[in-house]
Amino acid sequence: MLAYAARRILATIPVMLVVAFFVFSLLYLAPGDPAAIIAGDQATPADVERIRASLGLDRPFLVRFFEWLWQIMHGDLGTSIFTNLPVSHMIAQRVEPTLSLMVLTITFSIIFAIPLGVLAAWKHGSWIDRGVMVLAVFGFSVPVFVVGYLLAYIFALQLDWLPVQGFVSISQGLWPFLRNMILPTVALGLVYVALLARITRATMLEVLSQDYVRTAKAKGVGQRAVLFVHALKNAAVPIVTVLGIGVALLIGGAVITESVFAIPGLGRLTVDAILRRDYPVIQGVVLLFSFVYVLVNLAVDLLYTLFDPRIRY
Amino acid sequence: MQRRGFLKTTAVGALAAAGGLAAPRLSLAADAKVLRFVPQANLANLDPIWTTLYVVRNASVLFFDTLYGVDSNLVPKPQMCEGSEVSADGLTWTFKLRTGLKFHDNEPVRSADCIASLERWMVRDNMGQMIKVRLDTMEAVDDRSFRLRLKQPFPKLLYALGKCGTPCAFIMPERIAKTDPFKQIGDYIGSGPYTFRKDEWVPGASAVFEKFPGYQPRDEKSDWLSGGKRVNFDRVEWKIIPDAATASAALQSGEVDWWESPIPDVVPLLKKNANLLVDIADPLGNIGDLRMNHLYPPFNDQRVRLAALIATNQSDYMQAIVGGDTNLYQESASFFTPGTPLYSDYGGDNLKRHDIEAARKLVADAGHKGSKVVMVIGTDVPIVKAQGDVTADMLSKIGLNVDYVATDWGTVGARRASREPIDKGGWNVFHTWHAGVDCVNPGAQPAFYTTGDKAWFGWPKSDEVQGKIDSWFVAPDQNAEKTAVREINKASMDFVTFVPTGFFKGYQSWRKNIAGVVKAPFPVIWDVTKS
Repeated sequence: MLAYAARRILATIPVMLVVAFFVFSLLYLAPGDPAAIIAGDQATPADVERIRASLGLDRPFLVRFFEWLWQIMHGDLGTSIFTNLPVSHMIAQRVEPTLSLMVLTITFSIIFAIPLGVLAAWKHGSWIDRGVMVLAVFGFSVPVFVVGYLLAYIFALQLDWLPVQGFVSISQGLWPFLRNMILPTVALGLVYVALLARITRATMLEVLSQDYVRTAKAKGVGQRAVLFVHALKNAAVPIVTVLGIGVALLIGGAVITESVFAIPGLGRLTVDAILRRDYPVIQGVVLLFSFVYVLVNLAVDLLYTLFDPRIRY
Repeated sequence: MQRRGFLKTTAVGALAAAGGLAAPRLSLAADAKVLRFVPQANLANLDPIWTTLYVVRNASVLFFDTLYGVDSNLVPKPQMCEGSEVSADGLTWTFKLRTGLKFHDNEPVRSADCIASLERWMVRDNMGQMIKVRLDTMEAVDDRSFRLRLKQPFPKLLYALGKCGTPCAFIMPERIAKTDPFKQIGDYIGSGPYTFRKDEWVPGASAVFEKFPGYQPRDEKSDWLSGGKRVNFDRVEWKIIPDAATASAALQSGEVDWWESPIPDVVPLLKKNANLLVDIADPLGNIGDLRMNHLYPPFNDQRVRLAALIATNQSDYMQAIVGGDTNLYQESASFFTPGTPLYSDYGGDNLKRHDIEAARKLVADAGHKGSKVVMVIGTDVPIVKAQGDVTADMLSKIGLNVDYVATDWGTVGARRASREPIDKGGWNVFHTWHAGVDCVNPGAQPAFYTTGDKAWFGWPKSDEVQGKIDSWFVAPDQNAEKTAVREINKASMDFVTFVPTGFFKGYQSWRKNIAGVVKAPFPVIWDVTKS
């Protein structure tokens, strides 16, 4: 398995190269001009031209691409056009909030969604099942920003229990950190809970109708053991697959959640960079997201072996 | 250990750890020394010469200082300077710095720093460029005095050095000011009342300014950029909150103290809140701009530009931008800022006509009925989008065929620089607006200039208008300036350099425990207190 993991990690290199080329090309083709934005509305066309030249944006595409690639190969993501700060520094500043949001959202989703899905499958056709499905439909149907605003209105403005916005690093205390993360986590997690609960329910329904489950019940195995030891373990492979795919969903949702709750994460960094055409930052962040996504999928593949001993790499 | 006992122990331990790890809460007294401010936009860089973005100017006034500074009557007053002398022929200006001026690295402010800073500023600022072409030499007399020798008089020198329109003539250490004006500085060392905490700067999220103990305010009362900048906060924290609903909620809940630019939609909500105050932010407001490309048909024809001017109803534009709140807008048949000393609407009668029929006839007579007009509109900027919608309707009514290109402001910024015809990616119309502070006179506003190829986007060419603008620069006194501005307004209206779509202002909002907030073109932090 180690050899397989190593091969998969090595395989990320050509994938990242292709991603890098596409990102660079798309940004080159996209309309917009960071020099015009930097210069501001008061600047003359000549000023804009000089700024563009000073940023090296007037040089040929391939020259710029290979220069950037050379930098990347040396571990240098470049410097932001706007802030004059290294892109790696800007990303490092933003990793903690986004990582916190994603980890907490996944944790929140697993804690709530899987028991709900199992319960719905177990009580198939009952009011519990229907209740869970209504919740799932609600989670899918209501946009993240609406949930975010609603939560902020109720729990921050009306009840004054939690802050409206902002992020506090975990290094400044666990409770201040959690206090700021509760609303964003719930807002972003709702759709993820809906997704996981539905897939858990569907998979569990299928597994619960299998012969070995009937056999286990016939042998007198307890209901809890049947559900969580025999059935859930066998239903885990599709659930883990959806968890992995859901990371992409989370990345997209994080952009909105970070904007609604003014969390200084990678999502907001990406949006700001795109609006300003800050090419080095966009390229750096997209590369990072691609790398994370590839790694998550690798982790999912490796997790299969834990849940299904028949799978071997 | 029993399972329940273990759980209890770990739960109590976790809570204790959480409490222990928690940052100590600021005491109320300490909290009164911190101002949490939501600026108008993201602070993406801090070089106020490299970029002319207002948000950068607003941050820069906290940690840079200027030789002179305008007061609320737009009169330049000595700031870093003790004073200045001008020779009888108006050609030699000698400036003397106040004693005890220090940069944030505790180095003294010297004449060499001022000269290098002014040299960098002169390359990028319109008024600075006017000084540069008249400049013979700029030399240090000693560490505290320096001299400018001009080839011809420039009566607006002190105003140029003290204006608050971008870019301001901020003073930096010589080593920083030597940076190419088209490249960004990396060290943010000024001599203003606050220092910039680069280590706490998270672009797009927050910026922190800390009180500079070495700053010596002037004795006079502060007034905009002039007078004693006495600061009452140890820290000013800028919180970038891009979402208006979130910023509104943060202000209501007390998480922030002051919001620079609430959007009109949330203002009624803020006004209802007993803990908040809402008032006009900048008395000089803004002037909307319908900008036409003078290089290509149909707007290379003065009659079509005039038709657009005649058909314009500024109330439509203003209501589209700020809604029905009449405190926030007024019609103004002028390129200049209403309520300022030089303001004139002389020659603006055509802009008051709102005559669609006459405009339609002008377009038809000019042979442009049905001509295609490519209008590039940045729909991500509400003020631009609102104007674009009104213009599309107006141009259609006068017989033009509007191609409304809805895009983002970043794309407009690039496309408007194109001098190509519309079938090769060019444009006919875009919208923007100008801060009123930049329209108090013709000096600082490049959009007024009609120098053809060297002019601002749209490249208007009129020797008559430009001649009148040039006459303002040499006007010896305010009466002569007023005459010049009257003539400029009339000539520009006749030529239709662009169509001013009206004068509008914005609100600011702050919590009631904040006192001393004034109306100004930039957030004036000095003399503001928090209880």
